[in-house]
Amino acid sequence: MNTHERIDADFGDRDFTVVGKSVKRSDTLEKVTGTAKYAGDIALPGMLHAKMKRSNIAHARIKSIDTSKALALKGVKAVLTHQNVPRILHSGSPHPRSASVTKDQYILDDRVRYWGEGVAAVAATSEEIAERAIALIEIEYEPLPGVFTLEDALKPGAPSIHDNGLDQNNVLPPVLVMRGDVDKGFAEADLILEREYDLGRPTPAYMEPNVCVSLWDGNGKLTMWTSTQSAFMVRGTLAEVLGVPLNKVRVVVDHMGGGFGAKQDLFQHEFLCALLARQTGRPVKMEFSRKETFLGGRSRHPGKIWLKQGFTKGGRITAREARVTFNSGAYGSHGPGVTNVGTAALTSLYRCENVRLEGRCIYTNSPIAGAFRGYGVVQTYYALDLMMDEAAEKLGFDPAEFKLMNAVRDGDIAPSGHPIVGHGLEDCIRRAMEETDWHETRKGDKPEGIKRRGIGIGCEMHGSSAYPGIKEQGNAIVKMNEDGTVTLITGTAGLGTGAHTALSQIVAEELGVPFETVSVVQGDTDIVPWDIGAFASHTTYLGGRAAQLAAADVRRQILEHTAPMLEARAEELTIREGLVVSTGGSNRSIGLAEAVGPQRGMPAVQLVGVGTYMPTKSYSFAAHFAEVEVDTETGEVAVLQVVPVHEIGKVIHPIAAAGQIEGGIQQGIGHTLSEDYVIDLTNGRSLNPSFVDYKMPLSMDMPPIRTIILETAPDPGGPYGAKGVGEDPIIAIGPAIANAIYDAIGVRFRHYPITPENVLNALRAKNSETRQ
Amino acid sequence: MNRLVSMTINGEVRELAVTPNLTLLDALRSEGGLTGTKKGCDVGDCGACTIVMDGKPVNACLVLGIEAEGANIETIEGLQLAYDRPHPLQQKFMEFGGSQCDFCTPGIIMMSKALLDENPDPSEEEIRFALAGNICRCTGYTKIIDAVRATAEELRKAKTL
Repeated sequence: MNTHERIDADFGDRDFTVVGKSVKRSDTLEKVTGTAKYAGDIALPGMLHAKMKRSNIAHARIKSIDTSKALALKGVKAVLTHQNVPRILHSGSPHPRSASVTKDQYILDDRVRYWGEGVAAVAATSEEIAERAIALIEIEYEPLPGVFTLEDALKPGAPSIHDNGLDQNNVLPPVLVMRGDVDKGFAEADLILEREYDLGRPTPAYMEPNVCVSLWDGNGKLTMWTSTQSAFMVRGTLAEVLGVPLNKVRVVVDHMGGGFGAKQDLFQHEFLCALLARQTGRPVKMEFSRKETFLGGRSRHPGKIWLKQGFTKGGRITAREARVTFNSGAYGSHGPGVTNVGTAALTSLYRCENVRLEGRCIYTNSPIAGAFRGYGVVQTYYALDLMMDEAAEKLGFDPAEFKLMNAVRDGDIAPSGHPIVGHGLEDCIRRAMEETDWHETRKGDKPEGIKRRGIGIGCEMHGSSAYPGIKEQGNAIVKMNEDGTVTLITGTAGLGTGAHTALSQIVAEELGVPFETVSVVQGDTDIVPWDIGAFASHTTYLGGRAAQLAAADVRRQILEHTAPMLEARAEELTIREGLVVSTGGSNRSIGLAEAVGPQRGMPAVQLVGVGTYMPTKSYSFAAHFAEVEVDTETGEVAVLQVVPVHEIGKVIHPIAAAGQIEGGIQQGIGHTLSEDYVIDLTNGRSLNPSFVDYKMPLSMDMPPIRTIILETAPDPGGPYGAKGVGEDPIIAIGPAIANAIYDAIGVRFRHYPITPENVLNALRAKNSETRQ
Repeated sequence: MNRLVSMTINGEVRELAVTPNLTLLDALRSEGGLTGTKKGCDVGDCGACTIVMDGKPVNACLVLGIEAEGANIETIEGLQLAYDRPHPLQQKFMEFGGSQCDFCTPGIIMMSKALLDENPDPSEEEIRFALAGNICRCTGYTKIIDAVRATAEELRKAKTL
C-alpha cells in the first residue's frame, strides 16, 4: 500500500517541498549493500576477545573467586573480578538532571542479585580461549534467600535486595498522583468496577546482541564503539567510573541494530571491556551471545495494576483510583522513570476529574527491567482501556462510542501537566470507526463455529520527550559548504528509524535546498554536539527542531551575505531549490554555490548555524482496530487485520513513520499473545533465553496492516508541528486485541500474554459455568 | 590447527584459513572481511546470517568453514552490480522502507534472492513462508513483503522486454 496517499494534510499554509515526502533514506544504501558498520564489525590489529562469567544463582554473596586456573591458560591476558575493578556506585540509567535515577550498581559486586549477573570477565587472544577461561574460574557462593515475586518482595521482613534505606524492596518512594476528590467521585457513581490486571515480561529482543570494542591510545584516551541509544550517557558514565575527563572518552555509534529503549542503559560489559583494554594495552571486543542478551538485557516491567473506576449511567467517569506495582528485577535501571510515567498516564486518555494513583517499583531477584518502548504506559493503558471496554458493555454503550465520549481533548490537562493541543484522540477514534465501518462490522453475523472472529478497538496517547522527568536538550550544527551543499552535524543517535533522513529533510526544507544536497555527520561524541540520546519518541521532535533551528540560523546568514549581491534587503530574499531569489520585485536570483563560494581569489564565506532546543512536551494519539480469529479447539488467537490510526502532528517521512507504526504493532502483538520472558519462581533461573523459546510474531503470523496517519493536531513545539510516533503503536494494539478476543469468545482476559493455554482454560471454565 | 579452505565467494576464488570448528559465518566475517552477513544468534534461530551456498539459502552459522570447500558462496556484498548500482532487491528495499535497523536485512535480502531465483512470481503467502526463518523486529514485515513483491514484478518485466 502506498502510505503517501493516506496522509491527511491539514496543517499550515506553506507548500512543503521535502518534508512530508518519502525521500530515499540517506543511510539505506550502505545498509542494503552490507557496507554499514556496526560495533561488532570493528576488527582492530591485536584485538583481544572478552567474555563474561555469569552467576548460576539468583541471590548470593561471593565467598571466594579463584582465577588462578583461568590466568594460567595460554592466551589469557587478563581476568577481572570484584576484587580488581573500581568499586563505584552508579546508576544503570544515567540521565543527567533527572531525579529519577537510582545509583544501585557496581561494575562487579561481591554479591549477585539475579541469575546471570556478571561476576568476572576474561580477555584472551580468541573468543574460544576466553570461553574456556571463564569455565575455569571457580566461585564459591554463600546463598541468600531469593525473592522472585512482588508478593514475596513486599512481605514485611522480606530479605532486602539493596541497602538503599527503603523498606520492602522499594526502588523509590511510592509515586502519588492526585486530582480532584476521588471519594466524592465514587459517591456519584452508578457503576463501580474494580479489577486487577497482571502483566508479563516481554523483552525488546533487538536483533543485534550487545557488543562493544574498546581501544586506549598512547595518550590515555579511550575510544569505544558500542551499540547504544545514548552515546553521551555512555561517555559520561564511563568517564565518571574510570576517573578520566570527558575529552578522554570517545564513543562511536555509526549504526546500531535496534534498541527499542533497552540500550539506553550502561551494561556491565561496557565498563569491563574498557577496563580490560586499559589493563592489557590492547583493543578488546566484548560481544553478548543471544542467550546473554536475554540474561543481561532489560525487559519491560512486569507488574500488577489494581484499577477502580466509577461511572454514571450517562457514561461519564466520576472517579479513578489505581495502584500500579512494577517488578524492577534486581536493579533500578529505568524503574523510577517507568513508574512515574506509567502511573501519571492514568490521569489521562479518558477524561476524569477525580483521580488517586499510586505507583510503586519493587526489587526482586529477577532479570533487570528497564526502558522498553511504551515505558510503563503499555501496562497502565492496557488496564485502563480494557476496563473502558467492559464498562461500555455494562452501561449499554458501544465500546468505540464510549471511548470517543470520554476521550481527552483540547485544553485538558495531560499527564505532564500541560494542556493538550487539539482533538487528536477523537479524530483517531472517529477515523478508525469510519475506515472499518465499525457499526456495520459489529452487527455482522457471528457463526458459532470452531473458529470465532471478533473485533476490538484500543486507544492510547504518548508524549514526545521525557519532560517533566528530564529536561532534555537537542543540538545541531549546520555548515554551508562552498559548493552550495550542506552538512548537518547532529548529536541525534540513529536506532534505525530513519531519524537522520528526517533531520536532513527538515534542514533541506528550512534552507530551501534539494534533499540530496544535505549530508549527515553523526555518531561520534568527539565531533557532534551533545545529545541526550534517542528515546522517548523525541528524535524528530527534539533533534529535528534543533536541526531546524540550526538551518534557520544559516539561512539568515546566507540571506544577509547575499543581500548586497542582489542589491536587496535580506528580508526581501528567500531560498528556493538552491537559488537565492529576490521577492522584492526585481526577480533577481543567484545560485547558492555562487553566493557562498570563493569570489575573485577570496576564500569562501564561512557560514555555520547552531541550534539548541530544550522542549517541554507534546502528545501523539492513536486508535487501533484489530480483528482476531480464536480457534476454540487449540486456543490459538490469530490477528487477521489491524487498522492503526495515528495522529502525529506533521509527517516528515511517510514511509518511515508508517514503518515505526507497523513494527510497533508487531512487538505489541507479541507481548499480547505470546512473548513472555519467564523465570523459574523457585530459583530465579531464566527458562527461555532463546529465539526458539521466546515466541515472537514472525512473517507467517503478521497480519496485513492498513496504516492511517492524521495531521490534525500539530504541536507548536515540534518541527512544522511534528510529534513523536515511535512508542505509540505498541501501546494501542494490546487492548485492541484483548477487546477483540472478548468480542469473539466472550471472555475478558485481564493479563498478557493471552496464551492458547489461557484461552482453552477460560473456555473450559466458561462452558462448565453455562452447564451448571 | 588452521586449514586453508578454498571457495568461490561472490565470483572470486578465495582461500580462508579456518580452524575445524569455525563456522562459515565467522570465517566470512573475520577471515573473509565480509561483515555484511550478521550474527544475531549463532544457533540458527534468527536467519540474520543467511547466505546463498551452491544456489541454496543457508544459515552461515550452521555450516562449518571446512564444509564450504569448493562451494559457491553468495553474500550481500556480492549482490550489488557496481558501487552505484544496487541489485533490484536492494533498490526496492530502499524505496519501500524494507530496512530499518537493518541488522536482519542482509539475511532477508539473500533469502529473497534465493526465493526469486527459484520462483519469479511468488504469492504473498509464498514470500511469507520463504521468510519464516528470518526474524525482523523493526518492520512488522509489511514493507519487506512489498519490496520483495515489487522486485519480482520488476525482474519479470525486465525479462519480457
